[in-house]
Amino acid sequence: MYFVAEVNEKECAKYNCKQCVLFCPEPNCLNYKESGHTAWVWYDRCKGCEICVYVCSDLLKRHCIEMVMVKSGD
Amino acid sequence: MGLEYVRISPGFERYMPRDYVDLVKFGQFGKQVDVMQLGQFKELVEEHPMCAGCYMAYFIRVFYAALPNPEDTIVLGTAGCARLALSQAAVPFIYGNYGDTNAVASGLKRALTIRFPDKVKDVVVIAGDGGLMDIGFGMTMHSWFRGEKFTTIMVDNEVYGNTGGQESGMSPKGVQLKMAPLGKKFDKINAVELAQVAGCVYVARISPTNPKRIAKVIRRAIYAAREFGPTFIHAYTSCNIEYSIPTREVLKDAREREKKDFKFYEWMTDEVKEYLEEIERKEKEKAKQEVK
Repeated sequence: MYFVAEVNEKECAKYNCKQCVLFCPEPNCLNYKESGHTAWVWYDRCKGCEICVYVCSDLLKRHCIEMVMVKSGD
Repeated sequence: MGLEYVRISPGFERYMPRDYVDLVKFGQFGKQVDVMQLGQFKELVEEHPMCAGCYMAYFIRVFYAALPNPEDTIVLGTAGCARLALSQAAVPFIYGNYGDTNAVASGLKRALTIRFPDKVKDVVVIAGDGGLMDIGFGMTMHSWFRGEKFTTIMVDNEVYGNTGGQESGMSPKGVQLKMAPLGKKFDKINAVELAQVAGCVYVARISPTNPKRIAKVIRRAIYAAREFGPTFIHAYTSCNIEYSIPTREVLKDAREREKKDFKFYEWMTDEVKEYLEEIERKEKEKAKQEVK
């Protein structure tokens, strides 16, 4: 069990900013879909460092990403 | 390498690993990606075993996205954290013994110039502060004195992070580390000025707070190294484990250090400046034409 980032896609699509994707240290972990104008997380690759949460909540005050617990089988 | 080695032979697509097929279909081989498109293409570097929130891993991710010609690039590394991510990328990687990266790169670049006279092959060294400024100091310096045409990038985490936290020549004065409890008694080495004096034609110091700027600096360093001589980038890539930075605040720390001792600094000779301005003007014109 560990934490991974989860994007609230409905909220995220309002801004179309992509800043979290640009500051994630893991390759192809946070990605961006053109179709929905939103970021999405590849959960298998997320190490739970919360840098995206810092960018989204602390720097930009948009609060679209939160950390959620991953359980076995997810 | 070269592009013909990257493509999958017809009929073999379904036997290749998924990641490789993605790399050929949606990757950056053969086309020039903009670093601002990160997250929308398959990146060269794969999953790696570096710590959560490591900003050296972030710098390496941006480095690979910024490479002007990944299929004709060879990356050299040495013992240290950076090699853990460098070795997971779809770009040939050579692992030098501790400290001899710049000597290996010198020979490699000369050999490539003889073997492929009609092609441009980029050689890039990425090593830590220990590999370049402590143990590999002599070979780094001599490669610059000789004017070897390749890029050296120092990912400076200010500590020997792999072996438990010994102080390095690049640790700031007075800092207490896990394996250096008395505190460091000497100043941080001024690597940027050393590089300028030793004969580098392009020198930069950056803190990874702006992906566009990192990419610009890396591309400039590689372009300048093709024509003129050695180039050097000093990048601050904090070690959140040894310096006990909460992972959430790694970017905050990088921004704070940028205001203090890692202010963005760029220096180049006049002929390099002219050459780079010419290249960047052509790139802009090309981009404009594509939009039309």
